[in-house]
Amino acid sequence: MIKTRGLVKKYGSFTAVDGVDLNIPTGEIYGLLGPNGAGKTSTIMMLLGIVKPTRGDIFLFGEPYNPKRLDLRKRIGVVPENHPHGMWSWMTAYEYLEMFAELFEVKDKERRIEKLLSQVRLSEVINKKIGEFSRGMLQKLSFVRALLHDPDILFLDEPISGLDPLGIKQIRDLILEENREGRTIFISSHLLSEMEKICHRVAIISRGRLMAEDRMESLLNNLSRERKILIDLESIPSELPDEVKRLSYVLDCRGDGNTLVITVPREGDYRKGLSEFLIKKNLIPLSIKEQMVSLEEAFVTITKENVEMLAAMGESR
Amino acid sequence: MNLRIHAARVIARRKTLETVLNPGFYIAQTAGLLLGYILITGFTGAIDSSGFSFELNPVYDFVGRAMVGAFGRTFVDKLFSEGPFLLALYISFLPSFFYLSINSVFRFSFEKKVGAIELISYGPADGTSCFLASYVKDILLTLLTIAILFIYFAVAAFNNNIVLGSRFLYSVPLILFTSSALYAYGILAAVATDNAVSAISLYMGIVIFFLIILMGTFSIVSGYVSTLSGVFTRIAGWLSPLFYWNLSLTGVESGKAGFFITGIVILSVLTGIVLFASHLIVGVKGVRK
Repeated sequence: MIKTRGLVKKYGSFTAVDGVDLNIPTGEIYGLLGPNGAGKTSTIMMLLGIVKPTRGDIFLFGEPYNPKRLDLRKRIGVVPENHPHGMWSWMTAYEYLEMFAELFEVKDKERRIEKLLSQVRLSEVINKKIGEFSRGMLQKLSFVRALLHDPDILFLDEPISGLDPLGIKQIRDLILEENREGRTIFISSHLLSEMEKICHRVAIISRGRLMAEDRMESLLNNLSRERKILIDLESIPSELPDEVKRLSYVLDCRGDGNTLVITVPREGDYRKGLSEFLIKKNLIPLSIKEQMVSLEEAFVTITKENVEMLAAMGESR
Repeated sequence: MNLRIHAARVIARRKTLETVLNPGFYIAQTAGLLLGYILITGFTGAIDSSGFSFELNPVYDFVGRAMVGAFGRTFVDKLFSEGPFLLALYISFLPSFFYLSINSVFRFSFEKKVGAIELISYGPADGTSCFLASYVKDILLTLLTIAILFIYFAVAAFNNNIVLGSRFLYSVPLILFTSSALYAYGILAAVATDNAVSAISLYMGIVIFFLIILMGTFSIVSGYVSTLSGVFTRIAGWLSPLFYWNLSLTGVESGKAGFFITGIVILSVLTGIVLFASHLIVGVKGVRK
């Protein structure tokens, strides 16, 4: 659905995007992560045809993308990070959406607008002026605008930034629902915990280069140098964490209520050894769980510590 | 329908609605009508047994002296030879013209800055659709303004028993074509610059430049203005809509319809060229804020 080959964008001597290769199949939710200035927005802008690539190829819908072909843009929906709603603050939500529905030549626009507004629970404000909308309402309205013409691809730039927890949940549910209908979704966000819940696959971009790209689970596995094993016990004797720490493969151990939190290296299965150790101490493990590093933790690892390692991974891919 | 034209049509409808909902549009219309009223009532007070003499009325005395200074006595005499309506039409049109053109230049620059054009361009539209919409809006509202002025002056002519005059009637379409070319220059200024202040400054500079060229075509100016105008005319006289406006009006005065039609045709071609140049600039510069 979306494919790029050697995508490069230079602004003078500064390289914003440096040879990005993407391959996003139909129906996937793809997340692009990266710190500020990493090249996320430049990449999206090139995919949208707003910024011309310095080098490289873009393929959308299986054919080379020509930004001058306005008909292809009818198959794309975009939710930008910032909305210039101030320009249309004199319009009601319906008038605003009607303008875009006409622009996209949406059939049966009235029903489509009402259906989408009801999906995001904005039906009651259909005749309210946009100038009176809260940030969360504007974000939902922007979503509705992007979905009006039933696009094949949805580009979302920081879609949940600035929303309250309920708003985040509503937008998350909407994204997942749209994806279930077969829509390909490309998200750029810094809210990593949300990306973790939504994306099938993520890529991490830093200094214009894709440092890593994988399915969420594999990426987290590859990124973590260590993992945690959580063992529930009836009670934790005070000396136990120190005794566990003395085991050769244990990096760290602490008690958290009745749960023993043990940090071990990423490679190897230590659950059997730990169980045997605890049983010898007359302690019965009630449950043993392995905890993956969160994407948030992995992201910190990427941007602060492991850029070189990831670059090497990227080259070997 | 071509998607770009379709988008321009949709956006133009909203822009037109937005403008007519703005009090500024009505203030400009009212100012124009008020100026027209002052000029018509002043004219009737400046007629004695020898006919019209602008010195008899304080308003006309002021306007007449300024225009004689800029364009010469012959020009002013010709201006009033068919009554007050020719001058009143142009003067009354100016507030709306400047309101519409400066508003469009400002809005386009502002929309680009806040990302509104970028947002529209995510869909089946581009920068050209947006400026075409602005242009169409200006033309529609200019037609409305001209219609209002025409009706107003027709009623005034009937009440005062004065004829509108052939030059007035020819000026009605001429004013539309001339202003449409100037609107196109406004768009060019907006797309060529990066902010609203630069855009408006460039546009006003262009209009003043064209006015200097026009003044140079009348022989009375002398000294520095004449020299400057001569240089400007040689370099860029052919770019000025006011040059072709004068050509058409001269054609009407001398009864040469060919001149009038040629002026209109060249104004249309010039508008097309300036809009095409704007299209090329938008293509190169893009719509990103």
